[in-house]
Amino acid sequence: MSATASELREPLVDGDKSYRDVTADVCRIAEGTPAPLWYGGLAVSATALGVGAVLVVHQVWTGIGAWGLNKTVGWSWDITNFVFWVGIGHAGTLISAILFLFRQRWRTSINRSAEAMTLFAVMCAGIFPLIHMGRPWLAYWVMPYPNPMGPLWVNFRSPLLWDVFAISTYFTISAVFWYFGLVPDLATMRDRATGLRKRVLSAASLGWDGSHRTWQHYETVYLLLAGLATPLVFSVHTIVSFDFATSVIPGWHTTIFPPYFVCGAIFSGFAMVLTLMLVARKAVRLENYITLRHVDAMCKVILLTSMIVGLAYGTELFTSWYSANPYEQFAFLNRMRGPYKAYYWTMVFCNVVVPQLFWSQRVRRTVPAVFVMSLLVNVGMWMERFVIITTSLHRDYLPSSWILYHPTYVEVGTFVGSFGLFFTMFFLFCRFLPMVAISEVKGVLDYGRH
Amino acid sequence: MNEAQSDKEDGLKRREFLGLLAAGFAAAGCSPRRPKETVVPALELAEGSVPGRADWYATTCGACPAACGALVKVRDGRPIKLEGNPDHPLSRGGLCARGQASVLDLYDARRFRAPRKGEAAATWAELDAAVMDALRLAGRSGKKVRLLTGTPSGPAERAAAAAFVSRHGAGHVVYDPVSRSAILDAHALTHGRRALPRYHFAQAKVIVSFGADFLGSWLSPVEFTKDWASNRRPADEWDLMSWHGQFEAMLSLTGANADLRVPLKPSEERGAAALLAELVAARTGSPKGPRGAAPPRVAKALADAADLLVAAKGRALVVSASSDVGTQALVNWTNQMLGAYGATLELSRPSFQAEGDDAALPRLVAELEGGQVAVLLVHGVNPAHDNPHAEAFRAAAKKAGLLVSLAGLPDETTGLAHWTAPDSHALESWGDAEPGLGVHSLRQPAIAPLYDTRPAVETLLAWSGKPASAHDHVRALWRAEVFPKQSEHKDFEAFWVDALRRGALAVSAAGRGEGRFDAGALSRLGAAPSAPEPGAFEPVLYASNMLFDGRQAGNPWLQELPDPVTKACWGNWASFAPEDAARLGLVEGRLVRLRAGALSAVLPAHVQPGQAPGCVAAALGYGRPAAGPVAANYPTEKMFPIDKEAAGGADVYPFLGRTSAAVEVLPGMSLLAKTQTYDHLADPYTKKRREHIRETTLQELTSDPRAGNPSEEPGASLWPGHAYKGRKWAMSVDLSLCTGCSACVVACQAENNVPVVGKAEVRKGRDMAWMRLDRYYSGTPGEEAGESGQVETAFQPMLCQHCDNAPCETVCPVLATVHSSEGLNMQVYNRCVGTRYCANNCPYKVRRFNWFDYAHQDLTQSLALNPDVTVRTRGVMEKCSFCVQRIYSASSAAKAEGRVLKGSEVRPACAQSCPASAIVFGDLNEAGSPIEAAAKDPRSYRVLGELGVGPAVGYKTKVRNKKV
Repeated sequence: MSATASELREPLVDGDKSYRDVTADVCRIAEGTPAPLWYGGLAVSATALGVGAVLVVHQVWTGIGAWGLNKTVGWSWDITNFVFWVGIGHAGTLISAILFLFRQRWRTSINRSAEAMTLFAVMCAGIFPLIHMGRPWLAYWVMPYPNPMGPLWVNFRSPLLWDVFAISTYFTISAVFWYFGLVPDLATMRDRATGLRKRVLSAASLGWDGSHRTWQHYETVYLLLAGLATPLVFSVHTIVSFDFATSVIPGWHTTIFPPYFVCGAIFSGFAMVLTLMLVARKAVRLENYITLRHVDAMCKVILLTSMIVGLAYGTELFTSWYSANPYEQFAFLNRMRGPYKAYYWTMVFCNVVVPQLFWSQRVRRTVPAVFVMSLLVNVGMWMERFVIITTSLHRDYLPSSWILYHPTYVEVGTFVGSFGLFFTMFFLFCRFLPMVAISEVKGVLDYGRH
Repeated sequence: MNEAQSDKEDGLKRREFLGLLAAGFAAAGCSPRRPKETVVPALELAEGSVPGRADWYATTCGACPAACGALVKVRDGRPIKLEGNPDHPLSRGGLCARGQASVLDLYDARRFRAPRKGEAAATWAELDAAVMDALRLAGRSGKKVRLLTGTPSGPAERAAAAAFVSRHGAGHVVYDPVSRSAILDAHALTHGRRALPRYHFAQAKVIVSFGADFLGSWLSPVEFTKDWASNRRPADEWDLMSWHGQFEAMLSLTGANADLRVPLKPSEERGAAALLAELVAARTGSPKGPRGAAPPRVAKALADAADLLVAAKGRALVVSASSDVGTQALVNWTNQMLGAYGATLELSRPSFQAEGDDAALPRLVAELEGGQVAVLLVHGVNPAHDNPHAEAFRAAAKKAGLLVSLAGLPDETTGLAHWTAPDSHALESWGDAEPGLGVHSLRQPAIAPLYDTRPAVETLLAWSGKPASAHDHVRALWRAEVFPKQSEHKDFEAFWVDALRRGALAVSAAGRGEGRFDAGALSRLGAAPSAPEPGAFEPVLYASNMLFDGRQAGNPWLQELPDPVTKACWGNWASFAPEDAARLGLVEGRLVRLRAGALSAVLPAHVQPGQAPGCVAAALGYGRPAAGPVAANYPTEKMFPIDKEAAGGADVYPFLGRTSAAVEVLPGMSLLAKTQTYDHLADPYTKKRREHIRETTLQELTSDPRAGNPSEEPGASLWPGHAYKGRKWAMSVDLSLCTGCSACVVACQAENNVPVVGKAEVRKGRDMAWMRLDRYYSGTPGEEAGESGQVETAFQPMLCQHCDNAPCETVCPVLATVHSSEGLNMQVYNRCVGTRYCANNCPYKVRRFNWFDYAHQDLTQSLALNPDVTVRTRGVMEKCSFCVQRIYSASSAAKAEGRVLKGSEVRPACAQSCPASAIVFGDLNEAGSPIEAAAKDPRSYRVLGELGVGPAVGYKTKVRNKKV
């Protein structure tokens, strides 16, 4: 491969690694004793998860009134968190599927973690629509299954039902794609392991033998799965945006939402990948694999999507003005001047202003700056969903119903709990599975080398 | 496994089990009325009683002295709903919120279950013996016996009181907690007759009111609303609509409905009344009286009002709620000059709804303090709370030889009483009422007394040495006094049965004539009320629409009923004019202390647009420790604590009669529990008025029937509409008639088992009302008066609009809300999983979510639940169903009679109770029906019709009479 690579390109992996080094470097993380930092991180995450779990038990047992919602604002943090996590879940599949199809070879160092992150984010996302129901124990009613109640069918006109299909499909395909990509690496680990560990990995690696035939089948299926997963990157957030776009509420009823949401999702997803990778490359010493060039490339994606998101904000404002619809005009004025204006301007600052710094390569390659900015982007994207959901609802058509919404400790705690779940899963993933795709990195090892 | 087998295995036959169950219910006190001695299982019901079928009895509402006619709905032996009696000559089918809520008082678990000696249970025999002994002793010692009551409800009570008084040489002291004494005293002064005239607002084309909240809480609000509304239907002939001017300090419900409302401080009322009299005198050529004076804006409005009054001479009416006899006398004089006596108000056939004398209670307190009273019986009032002398009474009551309270519920007075002789609830007792001369109504029990109580009439008769059952007493009175005055029936038995069936009747009663106006009275008006001290505020204390004088302060429906004007509930507040609030730096919820001499009350502040500057207004009847804690359907706590808060408020009765109160701003906050937190139709940024309420003036309407109501049809739809081949249910609300009185809100709550969620939940915006009353001020926040200089108010009942293309229906993932073939938007509770998407997507925000389990704290009050309506569990959405249970019961009744139901036969609870008849319901496909006519009216429009959702509720434009 190296023969075909241009001399002008920088290598994708630093440190002049050999194939053996790659295997050793990645497996070392899973095979060695974790650092105290890992234990500390897991403890914090698991505590947050525990807090969240207790609060979920409380709200399911007592009633969703434990949250701060009211007769006018029926959704707030619940669906904000849902959209936030689904959005984060977009980067993984985008990196693994779309960048794969586009032959963006730098993806190999980060795709495994990004996909894992996708799965965990979608898990976190899925929790919110479930627990936000008034009667979550009946959540299975949203599935069209043969039942003795008539049978009662579901409402195929409801965007919430489309969500059920979209999210479950996305999760399934992402999980299969991720697991499938893991198989060769699991086999590598199996070959290095002994005892119980070996038995487990043998079962998990599905009898991988590394033969030419196996590789050929693997590459074909991987390509097909990438092809299947690609439309999902667009469909999931499009359908999530339909929850709002198909409604009659000013500020929700907007045709721009599908592309706007998809871009926002990629934007926030890349920011979250950056946040995690910047920590991981330091924590488990993967600087040679996740290089500043990777960071640079992701920052460019963030810059692009930031500008698309900014354009969407502007378009929304223009459309509301141009529509001459007083409800629409008020909805946007209320975002900018109303009681939640701090959220709106934080959103604009974090999502539109801050990423402009990425025009500078120096900033793109300064790890602390990128880290802070990636966090800010995710703060901004959370704000964006809150602004769309809450400020549209709290003052809609009849002023008699206008009201303010304040979260309770239960909402905050549940959100913290979702981070707990996310990081607990991620820490466990780092510890037990190869967090860099060994076989794929080996494939790009010669890239940019002489 | 068949039934026989299962019976064998259970060792208990199904029928036996049902029998035992029924006997259990009977023993628990929910049996139909029948002799007490035998317990009969509900399997063998009393003759004519059918399980599941509602029986209706005509009776008289006992919630306030207005004594409106009511129909009691009795299901399986339990009264569960009160509605207005259409045959009652005064209330004519309307019933106010307080009256409707009184059914819940019947089931109040705090009611006394037996007589009490101090705090201990006793028997009636012990009580009777103790009281008779004390009465005998009093007779011998020469000490006084006093009977303290409110205005007697009717002849039966009056006769029982008279019997007691004559037997023991006692004195009967009558006062009304919400006093109308000044009106009676003024008539004593001007007409030589201490009487309360009957007001006929239906005859009045021009109405001027000085602070009289006659649509809300003044004297007989249901009757007055019916009468007032009859002149508020803008017809082709423009002069048919009345003009109504209101001069008042705080924005009352009546002021909110006036065509012209002018803020006026109580201290300026005398001058304004005199000025109006002077202006009317000048225009009618009457002799001059005392000179009046008023601030320029008021004077201008009074001049306009005087023009209109004089132009409508003989059809004009001036009323006042002032407690100043001089002001009332000036009002009488004005009415006299306008030829109102005999036309728009009658002294010849007076009202008996208020007879109290303000001077009587202080005299009694003085007697008590002097230790002269051996026996004091208290009935129908709560002297330890509901009057400005309560503190003195509490101290003096200790010197009474024997204090007996006849209250049925614990109150501040029973806490002091040596004995309590619990009165039965109005729904358990026989009685009658005579709200006006010649208007008689009967009260018949709808259930046997739940507890060992005795109607006060029986108690008084027993202690008068003439023991008789209330039934016999009422019947004898009617035979002697009412029967001879009517001509319809020759036979008393037939008359009695007919009277019981109808509930009320009007008989011819020869009045004494209107009396002569004594012009000399104008020189004996007495000193005008003094102005407040500099820097202090004038206290304005009013009876609220919800609690009136406070006797129902323990009623959860009324505690959670939002005030029609402020939209706050669960407590009272101190209202300030916006100017004063800005000066004091007050925001809503900031605690303030009102002080007058040694008196002090701490209340949260409320900023009230339209209030006269320099006044502080607060509602009476709150702050009653003995009425709490109010048992409501508070959220059920299961794991971590859930916010709960008791009813708030402070007792402001002590301030009655004070003309000055100092206001001290305290550091604390106590946010009001409000069901509406934004008060304007215009938003704060674009300041564009939203056309949810369409208004016009009578003057514009005469030239253009569609004035103020431009057509705003949605664009063409891609989809065919619903066919509605059979019926199509629809509603129309006339915003010109709706006064905002909120009777529909309680009616809906009672009919549909809507839970009461408590103050903390209301504050979070989680009130459950299916029917709510939106109230909007003109202008934008802080600029309500605008260019007109006047704060205009509009009310809008808002309920599920049963849209043809309902946004809620498409978004529910599980089809828990669906459309019926008759146009109803139906909520399927047991299918709902609670995503709340439907509520979010409802443009009217009428859907209500069960955030928690709302179990009733008072299990007895659960007996008032309507068995026809599901009690919703937590986690499901609910909303107005157009009273679908009424539609289907009417439909099956029609089917049983072999005919097709006519849509106009069905009346949802809100439409039934509306005292203004503002709500019309029916089948749009029924040709010639009232709803069809309403829908075609040029004033008809749909809220948010431009969205294309196709609401089934139409509204008619609000028409203001802008003669001035």
